[in-house]
Amino acid sequence: MFITKKALSRRTFLQGAGATLALPFLDAMVPALRAQSSMPTPRLGFLYIPNGVIQKMWTPAATGSGFALSPTLAALEPVKSHINVLTGLDHWEAESKGDGTGDHPRASAVWLTGVHAYNRTKPGVPVRLAKTVDQFAADAIGKDTRISSLELTLEVPSQGGCDSGDCFYSDTISWLNETTPNMTEPHPRLVFERLFGDGGSSAQLLARARRAGSILDSVMAESSRLASNLGSGDKAKLTEYLDSVREVERRVQNAEKRGLQTIETPERPTDIPESFVEHAHVMFDLAALAFRADITRVFTMVIGRELTGRAYPHIGVRDGHHNISHHRGDGDTIAKVAKIDAHHVELLSYFLQKLHSMKEEGGTLLDNSLLLYGGGMGDGNLHGHTNLPCLMAGKLGGRFKTGYHGVYPSRTPMANLHLTILDKVGVRLDKLGDSNGRLLPDPLSIG
Amino acid sequence: MNGQELQKGKPLTLRMTFWAASVAVLISPLIALGQPQAAPAAAAAFKQYCVTCHNEKAKTAGLALDLTQLTQIGPHAEVWEKVVRKLRSGSMPPPGSRRPDPAAYETMAAFLEAELDRAAAAQANAGQLPLLRRLTRTEYQNAIRDLLGLDALPKEMDYSMLLPADSATSGFDNIADLLFVSPTTMERYLEAARKIARLAVGDTTAPVMVNIHQMSDEQSQDARVEELPVGTRGGLAIQSYFPVDGEYEVDIDLSGRSNERLQLEVTVDNFRVATVRTDALKPVRVAVKAGPRTVGVTFLQRNEALTEATLLPRMRSQGSQVAINRVTLRGPFSISGSGDTPSRRQIFVCRPSSTAEESACARQILSQLVRRAYRRSITGSDLEDLIPFYAAGRQEGSFELGIQRAVERLLVSPQFLFRIEREPAGTSPNRAFRITDIEFASRLSFFIWSSIPDDELLEAAAKGTLKDPAVLEKQVRRMLADRRSESLITNFASQWLFLADVALKEPDPLLFRHFDDSLRHSMVRETELFLNSVLRSDNSVLRLLDADYTFLNERLAEHYGIPNVRGSDFRRVTLPPGSPRGGLLGHGSILTLTSYPTRTSPVLRGKYVLENLLAAPPPPPPANVPALNTSGEKRGESLTLRDAMVQHRANPACSGCHSAMDPIGFAMENFDAVGRWRDRDAGKAIDSSGVLPGGFAFDGVSGLKKVLLSQPDLFAGAFTEKLMMYALGRNVQYYDMPAVRKIVRDSQKQGFTFASLVLNIVKSAPFQMRQSHS
Repeated sequence: MFITKKALSRRTFLQGAGATLALPFLDAMVPALRAQSSMPTPRLGFLYIPNGVIQKMWTPAATGSGFALSPTLAALEPVKSHINVLTGLDHWEAESKGDGTGDHPRASAVWLTGVHAYNRTKPGVPVRLAKTVDQFAADAIGKDTRISSLELTLEVPSQGGCDSGDCFYSDTISWLNETTPNMTEPHPRLVFERLFGDGGSSAQLLARARRAGSILDSVMAESSRLASNLGSGDKAKLTEYLDSVREVERRVQNAEKRGLQTIETPERPTDIPESFVEHAHVMFDLAALAFRADITRVFTMVIGRELTGRAYPHIGVRDGHHNISHHRGDGDTIAKVAKIDAHHVELLSYFLQKLHSMKEEGGTLLDNSLLLYGGGMGDGNLHGHTNLPCLMAGKLGGRFKTGYHGVYPSRTPMANLHLTILDKVGVRLDKLGDSNGRLLPDPLSIG
Repeated sequence: MNGQELQKGKPLTLRMTFWAASVAVLISPLIALGQPQAAPAAAAAFKQYCVTCHNEKAKTAGLALDLTQLTQIGPHAEVWEKVVRKLRSGSMPPPGSRRPDPAAYETMAAFLEAELDRAAAAQANAGQLPLLRRLTRTEYQNAIRDLLGLDALPKEMDYSMLLPADSATSGFDNIADLLFVSPTTMERYLEAARKIARLAVGDTTAPVMVNIHQMSDEQSQDARVEELPVGTRGGLAIQSYFPVDGEYEVDIDLSGRSNERLQLEVTVDNFRVATVRTDALKPVRVAVKAGPRTVGVTFLQRNEALTEATLLPRMRSQGSQVAINRVTLRGPFSISGSGDTPSRRQIFVCRPSSTAEESACARQILSQLVRRAYRRSITGSDLEDLIPFYAAGRQEGSFELGIQRAVERLLVSPQFLFRIEREPAGTSPNRAFRITDIEFASRLSFFIWSSIPDDELLEAAAKGTLKDPAVLEKQVRRMLADRRSESLITNFASQWLFLADVALKEPDPLLFRHFDDSLRHSMVRETELFLNSVLRSDNSVLRLLDADYTFLNERLAEHYGIPNVRGSDFRRVTLPPGSPRGGLLGHGSILTLTSYPTRTSPVLRGKYVLENLLAAPPPPPPANVPALNTSGEKRGESLTLRDAMVQHRANPACSGCHSAMDPIGFAMENFDAVGRWRDRDAGKAIDSSGVLPGGFAFDGVSGLKKVLLSQPDLFAGAFTEKLMMYALGRNVQYYDMPAVRKIVRDSQKQGFTFASLVLNIVKSAPFQMRQSHS
């Protein structure tokens, strides 16, 4: 699909949560796939929070349905009936195992893989993790969209802020395959341009796409010639390149197939906003719009990178997050960390309410989506990877029930939940990472 | 000795309980091999100081040292290089254990090094690298600059907008294994190629670009901006690129209100092109010639003194003062031509005077571009990939459009985007072999310039003379003298020191009210200028640790409490005797980036020094770090940071690393979290004394510097390792250490100058060779 834009004022676009958005174009652009299927189009989002949480403030006291929200989750009140809290899930593969990339990068690496991240800086240890849940899902439900998956972050890259030196384990939570992490994008303008292009008439866009197609063809031919005279040795990077060329070719063809659409978009963002909240809102707005316009059905968002030292002066926490996550049991420090936890949940609530305000076939966008929110660190103070913060929102088009607080027996791998989620989008895997079955008990699944 | 174990062929291990037998077993083979006298002494020392804990039974920290390996150390180099590092940094034996005297330390370390070097000389491991490595974003940017003569780009096309950031490891973004390619990267390469080709060729159908230059809230507008004319104050100097000759709109947005009517001046390359009154603002259209230009928007300085409030940064001023908030450059409009730009001069080496000449000229243009872009002589099929794109563009529009399309195609070629080093068919597996001269030329240029080789380097390589030491030295010296070697400062040194992370720091605005972006930038600038001055001089790199000068402007000098530095320009300042600011450890940048927002962190600072300046990184904390035992702490009775850390160190799981990190960090406690000097903290006098695990006692940052300078090999070795990592594009491993030691030895004779380190690195085996795959 090629998109030409009409600018919608940013004020309208950013109108508070719950406001109905004027997006008249949307009814006119029911994608082909949606028409064929009896179920509403599924969308998946995975949102990562770093450095663990204050578990006793996070975990709701009551279990089962109709539970009361915990202090940390209080901001979800307006969408309470649309969420599930899952308590007691573990990621044991994030433990050190005598290796030691550091607990933080392992936590983000394990989250959507259930696989241990080995310390690559040691001799003979290659880059190797695993294809992540979002990418399995993208293969199943994203291939017909223009962008099969979108990787977002609210952090700009750091040079030194990564355990063991390797930053790629914490910069992203999405891996295309076991050797290629998907790089994340913090810049709203670039996300905007990926979603909506950077202008041009429909004829120009079409011509550009055709040229891109022929460039990619030509590059493929050159690459095969190159591959044949490289000799022996590690050609993995060339394979990465060729796979990428093929995938971009597929995207270009997809775009051509779907023809032209005119949609209204907000004004193009310029820089990364200096305010964290504003940055988060713009990125969530873009993600919501990408879902709404069916440009993408899968996205990941790093709300904070593991080990992040971000300070939150706007909510009265002027200390660095990682530093105070090692609160040593001090009450005041715990209160500050809990404030950050609750603040992140407020951002989630903003996003959920935004999705809920967008009506489409089969209910609201929230009804048709599943958002998984949490992290690979439970107790940040002790670097524990058990009893992880884990929250699901949305019914995935009636495939899940909501409004439930489930508590799982000790040593239930979080990867079991991943298998259950993937089942719902038609990806049947026997195993993912350290999974040992589907999530049981499973009071949430429908069908 | 346990006979049964021996019979089963289990590894021979030595234990204290079998002392006598062990010594006999150990010493005799060494003597038999004709080792120097040091061997038996070293072996006895290992037994006495190391094997007590690191034996097969205790396996402390998972390590059992097998002293029989000392007779044939090669296959066990990984373990023994670790031992060398622990000995050289004095971090083993751990505090509290019996430690060798300095002479014994030296004997042990020197013995191991000699054995390891000997083993490596017999069978070197040059280190494996992938056959292809993608250009980093910085390398891509520099390659475009050198290939197409495109320097500054419009903000819309800033490289941080064009391409995704590369992931860093230990600060460096050029590690071959981590330069991933994903479909998203590929999409961005296509887009970047399209935009860059259009700009370089000067496409007169270029669309209107909107370049918004936002002034930071914290940017002070009190003084003249370095790049702008004398007699102006504040404002912005925008390095931009104008794609074609034409008109461009300058739209100024002010913040704050004032009854004062001020004059704003718009300049292009320091020539005034318009003036605007602040009370009658409207976009002005100015004619600009294509190419890189500096656009200035600034207040005209008036003779009468400005009020104090005006001089303060906008956010911190009392009342609202007029300041420039944003400048938007829009255009082109009324395009009058492609103009005469450095890019066009570099690309169009010929001009067809008739249609008949076009094809030959196109081939000539593309041939010279291909040679530089692919960093090698052109081969038959190279042009065939490009010509169809030239032809399509020619047919669609013009000769120039044809070239533009071919350039677009060239820029997504894998042979441009990747550095390629072949492994010739028939190379025996897992052996070190020399790379070709042409590959070597790229290693040199990407190391020293972060860019493609120039014609002279390629020609030397083509002649096959590049590895001749005299030719090589001449080329390296030429390259170091070239402006392009700036990347060694802006790219290598900044990444080594994590300088970019200063931008991510958020010092608590309530505790550090005077900290703002202007100070932040000044801090980074000081370090860059200082690095530049030391690394470009004939001085030792050790000067980085201690110097009697630095670079300051008024803002930073004030921050440091150094008088008589006026104005926003940076200048070299000789430090007063006894000033703690000499050397990197006194730089605000490094002190800030190793602090938390609300306080200093001796741990972070200690870790930083160990990791970045001594290449002795502490291992990550053990799993499930026990929390500090706070039960004994009564509420309200807060421990000093030092006391809390002493408590933390009491735990054996923590003491191993913290006994090395903490003293270093505490020595720097006189600098607060933004690098200001202080004598007291929370009412208490700062105690900056400490003892390193090696037994060195010292006080304060000056004491710490003395300790570091007393062992020049430690810092020089660490610096070499970092520079090697950057030069090779991979982590430096145990098998590289013999080469590192040789570089340090050879450079010491040349006074540890930066140039000597660079030269000795490019002469080293790891830099000239690669290991074939197994």
